[in-house]
Amino acid sequence: MRLKLLSQGEQERFESLLPLEPGERISYCVPVDLPLDMEDGRPSVTPLYRWVTEKNRLLLMVTNKQLFIVDSREDYNGSKWLVRKERLADYKEIKCESQVNCGILVGTKHSGEKVLIARFSMKEIVRVSYVAQGANLYCRGTEELVTSDEREKYCERCGRALPGTNTCPYCGGGMVTLKKFWNLCGGYQYKLLAISLLMVVSSLISLGMPAIQQSFIDESLMNRSGTIADVLVFVGLMLAATGLLIGINTLKYWLCVSMGALISMDLRRRLYLKIQTLSLSFINERKPGELMNRVASDTTQIRQFMEEVFGSMVSTLVTMIGALLFMLLINWRLTLLTTCLILVVIVVTRIFWHRIHRIFHKQWLKEDKLRSGLQDVISGMRVVKSFGREQAETEKFDQLTREYALIQKKNEGFWAVFYPILTFIMGMGSYLAIYFGGRDVLLGTMSVGTLIQFVTYTGYLYGPLGWMTHLPRSVMQMITSLNRIYDVLDEQPKIVNAKKAVKLEIRGDVDFTDVSFGYHSYDPVLEHIDLHVKQGEMIGFVGASGTGKSTMINLIMRLYDVNRGTLCIDGVNIKDIDQECLHSQIGVVLQETFLFSGSILNNLRYAKPDATMTEIIQAAKSANAHDFICKMPDGYNTYVGEHGYNLSGGERQRIAIARAILNNPRLLILDEATSALDTESEFLIQQALDRLTAGRTTFAIAHRLSTLRNADRLVVIDGHNIAEVGTHNELLEKQGIYYKLVQAQLQMAKVEKPVAFSQ
Amino acid sequence: MIGIDDKEFNEEELLAQSADLLELRFLNKDNAVFARTPGGFVSLDYAGIHYDRVGVYRTFPLTEPESYISIREADEKAREIGMVEKLTDIDRDQAEMLREQLRLRYFMPVIQKVISVKDEYGYAYFDVMTNFGACRFTTHMGSEAFVSLTDTRIMITDLDGNRYEIPDINRLTVAERKKLDLFI
Repeated sequence: MRLKLLSQGEQERFESLLPLEPGERISYCVPVDLPLDMEDGRPSVTPLYRWVTEKNRLLLMVTNKQLFIVDSREDYNGSKWLVRKERLADYKEIKCESQVNCGILVGTKHSGEKVLIARFSMKEIVRVSYVAQGANLYCRGTEELVTSDEREKYCERCGRALPGTNTCPYCGGGMVTLKKFWNLCGGYQYKLLAISLLMVVSSLISLGMPAIQQSFIDESLMNRSGTIADVLVFVGLMLAATGLLIGINTLKYWLCVSMGALISMDLRRRLYLKIQTLSLSFINERKPGELMNRVASDTTQIRQFMEEVFGSMVSTLVTMIGALLFMLLINWRLTLLTTCLILVVIVVTRIFWHRIHRIFHKQWLKEDKLRSGLQDVISGMRVVKSFGREQAETEKFDQLTREYALIQKKNEGFWAVFYPILTFIMGMGSYLAIYFGGRDVLLGTMSVGTLIQFVTYTGYLYGPLGWMTHLPRSVMQMITSLNRIYDVLDEQPKIVNAKKAVKLEIRGDVDFTDVSFGYHSYDPVLEHIDLHVKQGEMIGFVGASGTGKSTMINLIMRLYDVNRGTLCIDGVNIKDIDQECLHSQIGVVLQETFLFSGSILNNLRYAKPDATMTEIIQAAKSANAHDFICKMPDGYNTYVGEHGYNLSGGERQRIAIARAILNNPRLLILDEATSALDTESEFLIQQALDRLTAGRTTFAIAHRLSTLRNADRLVVIDGHNIAEVGTHNELLEKQGIYYKLVQAQLQMAKVEKPVAFSQ
Repeated sequence: MIGIDDKEFNEEELLAQSADLLELRFLNKDNAVFARTPGGFVSLDYAGIHYDRVGVYRTFPLTEPESYISIREADEKAREIGMVEKLTDIDRDQAEMLREQLRLRYFMPVIQKVISVKDEYGYAYFDVMTNFGACRFTTHMGSEAFVSLTDTRIMITDLDGNRYEIPDINRLTVAERKKLDLFI
């Protein structure tokens, strides 16, 4: 996403117009689309002028020293064009606050006073929040430019919505993608060649058959000169041609299907590989369904296109052109008379299909509503029953089904009436041909055989017109799917191994030096973090949810790269460590324990595929998991995961711990590893963890502070920063955030059960 | 146990805090004073405390725009200070201040005229006239972009997350309704 929407010329112009100091340059320029007049502290948002269509009327410009709002529609000689002028040095902070379906830009002066600067709709909010972050950096005296990896939502050239891609499928993007696709097909050149050849042959046969027919009718039938042998030869010829045609078409279809399947498999495989190498941020930026869709449905779309459209596209076109040529050769005048209706048929079919598309879309919407209504009630049946709302729900559902039935009835009726009419209209050409041709036959200027031949060609010409009107849609759909696929394939992974990535035998020193990070560059989660952890230390992260505890851990695992500052392991920048090598030495136990479908054995081995049975049992024993595994009928071979053996939360957790131990990791990460467990399993897991953490650098997050009683140091994170660091006792004496948290939990514990903070 | 029991832990205070959350407090002429700040926001003096800036929220934004206004602290936690049951409960000038803040916070243009609707490959492109002026926007073709608030009132969400309202579908002309036919 661009954050300076100015051409070079415009930038120079504004830089000469604005009251800038020497050397001051415009860093950001984005539109703010809602007007905001301030009259002695009264924000007036009356919509005095047209909104949104008047593109970029109000522009927010930020230099390294000042912030301006410029009305680009005013006369620059007057005084009205400069709506707002603020010195960044006066401000402590500039922030984009999101409101309800709009946003405001708020500045905080050094005195703490808040100032309303601008207002904008959701259309501009992402851009403005990046710029606010950029202005913020200048406020703090950091000369650094903020950039945005976010995608544009609309094509800058044609204004169409982009279907989740970087380039617009309409504005040239489609051609580029098609070229890429062509390269992909290149791997199947022999198949392609065979398909094209078959298509041409089948067209030629179709075109030849009416010619044979003509000569048979005129020479053998009409003047009654033929023998029964001639009839037999003709029938034989026609049978052979038809048989050949069927054979060729079957072969062609088979080739198309197999090529479609191969290509879509190829794409699927490449997509999957790519998704695996892309960093988590790429996956997190998208809804999980979206990526699944790209792998599953978009590749299916390609396959369908290859099967249904590609196979007949060329042969239909060749047949149509051939038919037209033959018709012209036979009688050009008649040809012109019969083809004059083509345009009408095209227009009528287009209208018809457009209408069909619309009414069935409506039906689909209703169906969707019906389905979600049903799902709602069925999954909430307990609630419905317990509140005795069956009657009301039945009525609601009744209403929905009735609406659906009504629209369905209407649509099917429309289809039943108009489809035959459409077929009739498509046949219009033949009627014309028969009328004018028949006249010619009567006049003796045309033979009967030629007329029949001509009428058959007319059918060839008119028949595929309905299908042709679909063609642009199918092609566009295919290009969009392709675009979506190549969008992922062309994505460069953000986290890559450095060129001279080192394979490091990790000891376990971890150093955060002035680290700042946010999942979006406008929304910092951690700022200026300094933390130095020595080998073998256990660090507990404490803080309210959403303060950045898990983010710290994500950074240590290098699922994301820090935005500023450095994160070193054993003095080596984490960016210079080989990723695989790093991950193989980190053991992770997460809050939600994910077990893959498969046996417990396979799940344990996930971390270390070549682990021996002895190692596995040893790890399970250390995690207090061996006993319960043995008690299961299938022992270590018990199938878990979806549709598998139902493990309790504590059991899953212990398997996860065993999995983490198996690798003998040098860094251990426990993210809420003991949450939501009953007392006994917590005790067992706590014991397992104590064994696990001994001698390893450990980072643990826990809401239940008792879990962290063994931590060497506790780090309290609050407001993007480290608020407190120290041992349990030190922090209690400080009477700060940690003290309050402990007290609150003690109060809770009084109600639940006694918790000992013993040492 | 270490160091906790002898430290003064005020259970009452905690209980009071949670009881505080349960209590429904109404602000009115007699107990609250709102004032404009030079920066464009509103400050509040209530129960002996001065708030530099308060958040003004509607609790029923779609059905009760002028009643049950929740006055909240301006920080991220946005703790509720109290509610204004009706804007007429407070001084007229001060009510106007709150309205200004509400207009600032909420943005949902009302569609007055539908000029054209075009559907193309999974997206619908709207060209409409709203009470904020002419506007073009784009929505998904799926059902989630259109929500019926009542039988006649419709809310449309575009790709950016802006929302538009058609207060009464019957007040549109037949031709306009036909353009929206696909969605309602």
